[in-house]
Amino acid sequence: MTTPSKFDLPQGTLDLLILRVVALGPIHGYAIAQHIQTISKEVLQIQQGSLYPALHRLENKNFLVAEWGPTETGREAKFYRLTAKGRTQLKTETETWARLTEVVAMVLQHPLGETS
Amino acid sequence: MNWFQRLSKTGRMEKELDAELRFHFETQVAEKIQTGMTEAEARRATRLEFGGLEQIKQDCRESRGTLWLVSIVQDMRFGARILAKSPGFSVTAIVVLALGIGVSTLAFSLYNIISLQSIPVRDPATVVRIQRRSPENITPGVPYASIAYYRDNAKSLAAVMETMGGAPMLLDRDEKRVSTAFVSSNYFSELGGTPATGRLFDAARDDSASAPVCVLSFRLWQRKFDGDPSIVGKTIHLGKKPVTVIGVASEAFASLGTDDPDIWLPILQHAYFVEGSKPLADPKFEGLIGMWGRLAPGVNRSSAEQELLSLTNQLRKIYPTVIWDHEYILVTPGAHFFTFEAGPGRPPVLQIVGLLVFLILTTACANLGGLLMARGAGRQQEIQLRFNLGARKLRVFRQLLTENLLLGLLGSIAALPLSYGVLRLVLVYSNAPAWMSALPDWRVFLFTSAMGFVAALLFGLLPSLQMVRRKKNRSLWHQFVVCAQVGASCVLLILAGLLVRATLHTLYSDPGFGYEQVLSIDPGMSEHGFTSTQAQAYLDQLQNRLRAVPGVTFVSTARVPPLVNTMVMITSIDVAGHRIMIYPNWVGPDFFQTMRIPLLRGHYFHNGEKNAVILSESLARKRWPTEDPIGKQWEKSNNVVVGVVGNTRAMELNNTDATEIYYPPTADDFPGMSVLVRTAGDPNTITPAVKAIAGSIDTGLYPTITPLTAGFRKNVSTVEQIAAIISLLGSIAMFLAVVGLLGLVSYAVSQRTKEIAIRLALGANRVEIFNAVLRRFAWPVLVGLVAGVAITAGLSQVLRRALYGISGLDPISYVGAIAILIAILAAAALLPIRRAFQLDIARTLHSE
Repeated sequence: MTTPSKFDLPQGTLDLLILRVVALGPIHGYAIAQHIQTISKEVLQIQQGSLYPALHRLENKNFLVAEWGPTETGREAKFYRLTAKGRTQLKTETETWARLTEVVAMVLQHPLGETS
Repeated sequence: MNWFQRLSKTGRMEKELDAELRFHFETQVAEKIQTGMTEAEARRATRLEFGGLEQIKQDCRESRGTLWLVSIVQDMRFGARILAKSPGFSVTAIVVLALGIGVSTLAFSLYNIISLQSIPVRDPATVVRIQRRSPENITPGVPYASIAYYRDNAKSLAAVMETMGGAPMLLDRDEKRVSTAFVSSNYFSELGGTPATGRLFDAARDDSASAPVCVLSFRLWQRKFDGDPSIVGKTIHLGKKPVTVIGVASEAFASLGTDDPDIWLPILQHAYFVEGSKPLADPKFEGLIGMWGRLAPGVNRSSAEQELLSLTNQLRKIYPTVIWDHEYILVTPGAHFFTFEAGPGRPPVLQIVGLLVFLILTTACANLGGLLMARGAGRQQEIQLRFNLGARKLRVFRQLLTENLLLGLLGSIAALPLSYGVLRLVLVYSNAPAWMSALPDWRVFLFTSAMGFVAALLFGLLPSLQMVRRKKNRSLWHQFVVCAQVGASCVLLILAGLLVRATLHTLYSDPGFGYEQVLSIDPGMSEHGFTSTQAQAYLDQLQNRLRAVPGVTFVSTARVPPLVNTMVMITSIDVAGHRIMIYPNWVGPDFFQTMRIPLLRGHYFHNGEKNAVILSESLARKRWPTEDPIGKQWEKSNNVVVGVVGNTRAMELNNTDATEIYYPPTADDFPGMSVLVRTAGDPNTITPAVKAIAGSIDTGLYPTITPLTAGFRKNVSTVEQIAAIISLLGSIAMFLAVVGLLGLVSYAVSQRTKEIAIRLALGANRVEIFNAVLRRFAWPVLVGLVAGVAITAGLSQVLRRALYGISGLDPISYVGAIAILIAILAAAALLPIRRAFQLDIARTLHSE
């Protein structure tokens, strides 16, 4: 398995990505990881060691609820679903992220940033 | 789902977690097989990608937020195993804690019974005690006329009860008198009392109007009448007056306040039992009629106080001389045995007891802390191993703290039966009312567990911190712990020594007067409403006839006969800003010869002398340190000092600081006076003659005749009991010091085993090694001792004012305590050092 480049996600970003993916509909852990990987064109590799603690943390904060149900292959898996609280959280977090990247980009692209 | 539900479903959660991860694993494996790997290869690759499955699970558990609880249970289990592994240490620690916590639990349990628990009466929350107060005056009693006025007019009170302690009375022909109390007819019904047999006073029947009746206490009924139910309806004689028994109160009945009488009588029949009594008729009567009330529904105490205050202001128009300026009415919860009232002039009993108890707990904890530190040294390797295995600092610290909390909890558990046992003994020996139970209630449980928690923090925090901090230089902590340990033990030992020595010293030294051959005769004239002329005539006649009895050498009168009364009067003057407490007495001319109090200057009172006072030497010296007091005017009065007599400890046997002032009696004093008789031989031989004379002069009186030796013995036994309790506390302090110091030196030796071995190997002198090991403790011990001495010197000044007139700086107590501590330290040092000397030098040096 080769990836063009791997990098660590900044703190809290994984939670945002998970919320975004789960917002599409009930989904299990494995599919979440796959989804993020596919959408990011294999740039983002989600380690199980960070994925599951994050899922449990979000469940504990009542952003997600989980139910057991059958997959397409007929196996029982734990499906996560967004709560109303999770939806609000996703909205605010997305806005925050957008503002943050915008501001960071602004600073980085400023000509003064190039000097020295 | 809250954390509790989560915890209770831990099993299911674990299974689900496992299933979830397994699903991921299997799906990944399946994916890899689809790309063409063999199953074995796919599994291996996936396992590598997954990393530590257990670690993922642990992280998931942690993010679920229940881990702390699970791990506390783990810590507890681990702590219990550690404690079980060293039973010697654990038992010592638990005993030390049980003593420290037990003493405070005992003190709290007593306070709980006395002041916090409600006595078992009907609806205790609405029962109130009602007392008069003004900025200048404090009295527990309310005149009967005022009570009647409040009862008729107060809307905030649903009912008003009165109680009045009576003088002990003769029952039939018994030698021993019985205690009595006069109560209002609604007393039993209002409190929800039930009869064991017969009936109780009944407000509706109005027993006061009928023939005299009484209710027996369950205790007297058992003791005197063997619980015979046929006593109901029979006539007994109280003070030779016939009275019909109408019933017996049940054993569980609790009377209000601290009175626990043998017999209850209707207050409206007071005049029948005490001839000539006037408390019910005279609004100026200052006797102790207690007023109690039951709050009307929905009324609280402060609104009752407001209404009673306005009634008091109306009452002032009716009895202008009776109601004080700015008088107000104090309404306090009534359904408690005793309520501690703070205020100027009242000894801060609660604070002093609290302080002593806390001191004992602190000493226990300081010493246990030393022991723990010593053990910590032995556990250093274990802790290091856990760090090496990747344990975090906080985790190890929490584990150690949990261990200490477990110890604290075990100490609390052991303290409960200890306190229960002692409390039971106390209740039995003090003849406590039957409703008082030594069984701990929720307050005691709460208090004891809180104490266990506080103790765990006190003894455990520093040693645990120090075990986790892997710094090389920890000596500051150690020295602090040693200081605290030595200091606290020192305070406790000196205080115990001071108190024991002071009490015993005052007991076995000369009280300053001769009490052995003196009888006191209290005719009880004031209770029977004697006027001063009647009283003077009676006293003159009694004295004259007593003087004629063969064997009688001196006869005198005194308002406060020494050693007999439990109530003494006290007054004070200010000299150059210092307040001096003085015991006043009003005495006849022959008082000093009767009591064998030596005359030092001037003269005794002449017969009928007025405007004269006699001072005790101590008072004279305090008031006029350099001048001759004779002929001086006494404190803005027209009384002149005519004599100075020797100091006595007549009023307070254990107070060597006591000062006395003597006045000649005025007409108002006569009804309250007693007669003292000195005999040449055994005073008991003339007791019958005295009894006959005293009874024949006025047949309405029943004089109480007491030999002063009996009073002295009673006083001595009280003081001895106090000394015994203090000695017990002292031995606890000593035990704690031994345990703590033993631990301390063991620790010091264990820290230096290697050094000792090297020195031994190099042929060092054993005394030198001994010194080398102990030298680093010299400063902390010294500082601890000095701090202890300083704190005690300060504390003893408080104790001196509040408890006894002990000398707070008695050198023997200080030197003794310090000597004991050093002796303990030396003895404690010998044991571990002896062990060190026997160690195998070669093995020790090879061990690291």
